[in-house]
Amino acid sequence: MSNTKLALAVLWPAFWTGLPIKLALTLLFLALGMMKLEALFGVAFLLLLSSPVTVLAMPFLIGLFDLHLSEGAGLSLVFLFSIPIDMWAVGLSARTVFIERLQLEPQDGMAVQLWGKIAVVGGACVVALWAVEGFVTGLAKSVAHAVLEMELLKALPVAERISLELTLWGSVSTITLVVLLVLSLWAVGAVIQMQARQARPLAESYQKLVHRWDLMRVPADQGLILTAFTGAGVVMTLLFWSGLPSTTPHPHETYQQPVAKVAPVLKPVEVLNKSERVLTQAESAVEALEKKKAEESSQSKKASKGKPGPKESSAATATDAPVAKTAVSASPSLKQ
Amino acid sequence: MNTTPGTTTQPSAVEKILAFVDERVGLKAMQAKMLNEPVPGGSRWAYVFGSVLLFIFIMQAVTGILLMFYYVPTADHAYASTQYIIHEVDYGWFLLSYHFWGSTAMVVCVFAHMSQVFLWGAYKKPRELIWLVGLALFGIVMGFGFTGYLLPWDQRAYWATTVGVEIMDKTPVVGDFMARFLKGGPTPGQMTLSRFFVIHVMILPAALMGLAGLHLFLFRAAGPAGPFRGSPEELKAKTDYFFPRQIWKDIVAMATVFASICILAFWEPVVLLEEATPDPGDYHPEPEWYFLFLFQLLRLKIFSGEFGQFLGAIALPGAFMALLAALPFIDRDPERNIFKRPIALIGWIVVMASILIFTVSAIINREFLD
Amino acid sequence: MQPKLKSKVRAADRDVGEVTRVIMDPLSHDISHIVVSLNGAGERQVPMGYVQAVTEDLVQLRPPSSEVEALPPFKRDDYVTTHEVEIAHLEEKIHVTPGEVLVPLPDLEKSVKRRTFFANMTHAIGFLIGLPLVFPVLRYLMKPMYAPFDNGWLKIGNVGKIKSEDIGVQYKYKKQVKEAYMPEQEIDKNVWVLKATPAVLDKIYQGKDMEFRDPIGNTIWVNKKDVPYVAFSGKCPHLGCGYKWRTHKLLGQVFLCPCHLSIYDASGKVLDGPAPRPLDPLPIRVSAGGDIQIIDMEFKAGTKAQVRIV
Repeated sequence: MSNTKLALAVLWPAFWTGLPIKLALTLLFLALGMMKLEALFGVAFLLLLSSPVTVLAMPFLIGLFDLHLSEGAGLSLVFLFSIPIDMWAVGLSARTVFIERLQLEPQDGMAVQLWGKIAVVGGACVVALWAVEGFVTGLAKSVAHAVLEMELLKALPVAERISLELTLWGSVSTITLVVLLVLSLWAVGAVIQMQARQARPLAESYQKLVHRWDLMRVPADQGLILTAFTGAGVVMTLLFWSGLPSTTPHPHETYQQPVAKVAPVLKPVEVLNKSERVLTQAESAVEALEKKKAEESSQSKKASKGKPGPKESSAATATDAPVAKTAVSASPSLKQ
Repeated sequence: MNTTPGTTTQPSAVEKILAFVDERVGLKAMQAKMLNEPVPGGSRWAYVFGSVLLFIFIMQAVTGILLMFYYVPTADHAYASTQYIIHEVDYGWFLLSYHFWGSTAMVVCVFAHMSQVFLWGAYKKPRELIWLVGLALFGIVMGFGFTGYLLPWDQRAYWATTVGVEIMDKTPVVGDFMARFLKGGPTPGQMTLSRFFVIHVMILPAALMGLAGLHLFLFRAAGPAGPFRGSPEELKAKTDYFFPRQIWKDIVAMATVFASICILAFWEPVVLLEEATPDPGDYHPEPEWYFLFLFQLLRLKIFSGEFGQFLGAIALPGAFMALLAALPFIDRDPERNIFKRPIALIGWIVVMASILIFTVSAIINREFLD
Repeated sequence: MQPKLKSKVRAADRDVGEVTRVIMDPLSHDISHIVVSLNGAGERQVPMGYVQAVTEDLVQLRPPSSEVEALPPFKRDDYVTTHEVEIAHLEEKIHVTPGEVLVPLPDLEKSVKRRTFFANMTHAIGFLIGLPLVFPVLRYLMKPMYAPFDNGWLKIGNVGKIKSEDIGVQYKYKKQVKEAYMPEQEIDKNVWVLKATPAVLDKIYQGKDMEFRDPIGNTIWVNKKDVPYVAFSGKCPHLGCGYKWRTHKLLGQVFLCPCHLSIYDASGKVLDGPAPRPLDPLPIRVSAGGDIQIIDMEFKAGTKAQVRIV
């Protein structure tokens, strides 16, 4: 089997095998606020997807190329967790390929060994790929731009210009990327071939081989794996619930959040005592006024025309506004 | 489901209930017929997209129903109720963002599913009917996206819909009638919102469920096509049943899609623009991302003018859909190996590349609009 | 045992042919006839009553061959196959094919352990997809169900309106209500205020100040037992109707609810009718100028215990 084909046969399933677990971790860290993804979301996804080869390349990409994917420790943690996840995924994938496609016996410890070699070689390829692709794309973009600036094309309208320019540098960029990918796969494939050469051949029928790698996926202790898996999932869910923000992390700039009415701390006894004092003060003031009024009315001929009691006392209160007002204003700030 | 060898112990309560139902309904036989479908060449990850689409639809229905607890489809409260969901209802932002990104996931998976079927040649005899029903389902999914987009009633929603319906107006003969039917009048307003709401929430879900059921039935009637290459010995060695292996792959894919949509909801939660007004102001109308390529196409000079717009908006997409519908009847060669069908392969690449180029062009074009 | 297709058929005297078809009765789901091909001389429909014994490859008939041949010829057009009709559970009763038709079990499906592992893992993952949604969805749906209380004081009028003691006086007021995203609305509410004599006051307070607490237990307000003004919630504790102050033939001046005729005295105590508890007093304070303020509360209708809901 050719190097590129072999690399693809091992890496493609390994990428996808690890992804669901990495995504679950990413989601958890997002909910806990440990990760804030930036605009290059798609790039982050692709790097995470191809993580056996990108894990060791990440520090270089961030350092050398100023790649800024996220805020917070979350993404780095996911890449860290990727290491054991990928060791398992690469192991599973490689063993399957060895058994079915190459008809070779996988060795013990192959998973970790292969992971290590793929991470180093793949990592180097990713860094090189990034550099070359970046350079070529930049060059293609400026050439395409220059082409569009030509006199011949000056009359072309905006929409056509955009598509033409995009196609020009896009096709160059894509072809370069494909070529670089094939080369990288070839390099990784060579590493896997080296491992394959050390393996001894298997002489079983095709059916038996398929059966073997298929059953390889069934663990010896099902109950344990099942319980551990579900338990881990439940724990992660509980953490997810604890961290999930209940209102949007991107609120609209003009939206008025309802002002939470904080009930003022009431000291009821104090309040009521004060109110009592106010009332007794007001009562005594009213009594005094009524006495005064009675004296006045007994003197004056123009008595009030038998209006009911409350009206009199309110009239009295009105005239003695300053007393009443101070009494009223002395009551604490209960009035909202 | 249990194939444990018969023991002589007493049947448990569950087993008794199952036996009771089985006697009357034929449960065991039905289960066996549904689950024990041999997949030639074995279960494959490439086959998961149909089940994933079903999962996404169920999630959209669930989140959609939840949104309806607080959303009201009236022009005076649609915006406020949507903002209420986002800002005040506990986790409302998350459920709404899930619903929004779920629609993107649905379109992506529809493209993936159609591509997989096309590349595997699984539209050829005897699967022509499945393909046709599938195209109808594709139309329904696009309809969902288009009608749902209007509901928040912000500037983006209102103007994307206005422009979209105007484009549909260009259809010859029935265009004006269709546009007025959708708008519920000559111009967009409350009537439009009501119609789009009932289409989005009642008519399209019913149509989708009916057609999806038909799609599944026809698929079962024809049997899975299987891989397009492999010796009979290989295929036989790898054959397994739909349950458990393919279902297992389906559910892992569902979990992956579920996690991805949640992540997208965190990355870009739904943020509305200002409430819809008849004056677009500084806002440049734009449809959802999966219509952007059409939108950009219509900006080309060759599609200017009334006839040009008709050509670009109606004739060309219509002709393409007609070509897709005619595909099983035009392409009668039983060869299913994509590497031996150069026209098909190149055609697929050209179509995908064109859609990609025009979508990205539309995004670049935004900077040139001011 | 049911006769098998292709079995030989023997009459009393000799072999007559073989079973080519079997006819089932759609109601009883039993075999009613067998169709015997007379070695090339046509087919006869033979009722099961003629059958003496059935073995794996032979059907023994009681009558002689002449009687069998005398039977009317078989008319195929009078029949349809079981695949062309829908008769529930009919196929389960048919055991007429000799032997079995088999399909090989795929090699990979032969392992039970594999099957159970993937079945269980599928269930586990399905469970883990649904689980994260449970809590957010429940909280989402419950948002408006236990809205916090508004303990704001509302001015409802002045005590000047009350002319005599122990007489119910209705105060109508407007309350500003904002529900979710709806614009603020004004709703009409009413309470009944009483200027109580010490006797009635004592019946209401039972010698204790009335405390109003929030759900956590903090005191919101205390109605002192010697303040003569009492405000009753305008909703009847039976089922929430608005009640009135009326003169009753026998009981005198009472609160009377027109819906189900609950009757309360001036202290709010239930005199007659289906009310489960007395009228609900509200927090009240009267300013020095006689302005009455209340905290608007509503209580669950129809229960003995007083449970605040608004």
